[in-house]
Amino acid sequence: MAEVFVNMGQISSFKTQGILTTVGLGSCIGVTLYDDVAKVGVMGHIFLPRSREKDVGAPPGKYADTGIPAMIDEAVKLGAKQSRLKAKMAGGANLFPNLSANSTSIGQQNIDAVTEHLKKHGIAIVGKDVAGGHGRKMRFFVDTGIVTVTAIGKDAVEI
Amino acid sequence: MNDAKLDFLKELANIGTGHATTALSQMLSGRLFQLVVPDAQMLPFAEAAEYVGGAEQVVVGIFVVVSGDVKGHMAFLLPLDSALVLLRLLIGDNSGEMNELARSALQEIGNIMITSYLNALSKMTNLLMAPSVPGVAIDMAGAVWQSVLAGAQVTNEVTVIRTEFFADGESIEGNIIFLPDDDDFKKIARLLGLGEM
Repeated sequence: MAEVFVNMGQISSFKTQGILTTVGLGSCIGVTLYDDVAKVGVMGHIFLPRSREKDVGAPPGKYADTGIPAMIDEAVKLGAKQSRLKAKMAGGANLFPNLSANSTSIGQQNIDAVTEHLKKHGIAIVGKDVAGGHGRKMRFFVDTGIVTVTAIGKDAVEI
Repeated sequence: MNDAKLDFLKELANIGTGHATTALSQMLSGRLFQLVVPDAQMLPFAEAAEYVGGAEQVVVGIFVVVSGDVKGHMAFLLPLDSALVLLRLLIGDNSGEMNELARSALQEIGNIMITSYLNALSKMTNLLMAPSVPGVAIDMAGAVWQSVLAGAQVTNEVTVIRTEFFADGESIEGNIIFLPDDDDFKKIARLLGLGEM
């Protein structure tokens, strides 16, 4: 089965079958949208919570506020119905906790922003493995909708 | 980016890493390090993400925020194997395990190297560059590097200055990467008479 690696700021998709993978999620969030009737799956790799004016020409998938709507558009373009879309998310860790001791970590800000924007578009989160202090790898099997998350020294989990 | 700026950034990396590895060499009773020709680039975001390869390889990453007249972020990345060699040489730890003592020893090594790097640049330019207390992570290279880039809140152009080093005899290799805030870098350039870059 074809496997596509989704790098920071990117959005990729498959219809019917294929594997969408993101490696090395730290504070970033891997988000998946899935329509189990149309068998459409989209994955985004969100870098920061909010788009910034000075970041001219940034891809929409880089930020949660522009990335979630762009992912929905991509799913609908492939034949998904927005009302059937379900989301899963992984990442949002804080690998350097002592550097954000007096503020909300970027990982947590990302979790909050992705959650908020999914809610705003009426999309339920049906699985997640977020926060903590470790990196993650996320794989999304579009034929079944299954998402697996692996981390160093931990057993793989299905979300 | 023009050639003059590139050469200038490489020279900074050479001086900084030279001082950092000298500090490390003193800790390791004079073991000599060789520096690989430094790399300085202005990378588009998509390429910056790929800049540190081997995304699933386990690395030790030490990360600091730089404040003062020149702001930015610095990371010291080394493969797990190299970190274990360093621990054996420095604290006689042969266990191959990453316990709390090992973590704090690595944090201190990173601290000394990064401080030496920045001190060298500060002296040369008379501009203050002060590192924060370092954070240390032992995890997938991709997750560590991605967290560094997010911590630096990089935009679509990322100035990356990297020097690799390795030691004779023992396999110790590592990378020191400086991600300066762009506006502050112009200050250094002006100060050194390199004009507008």
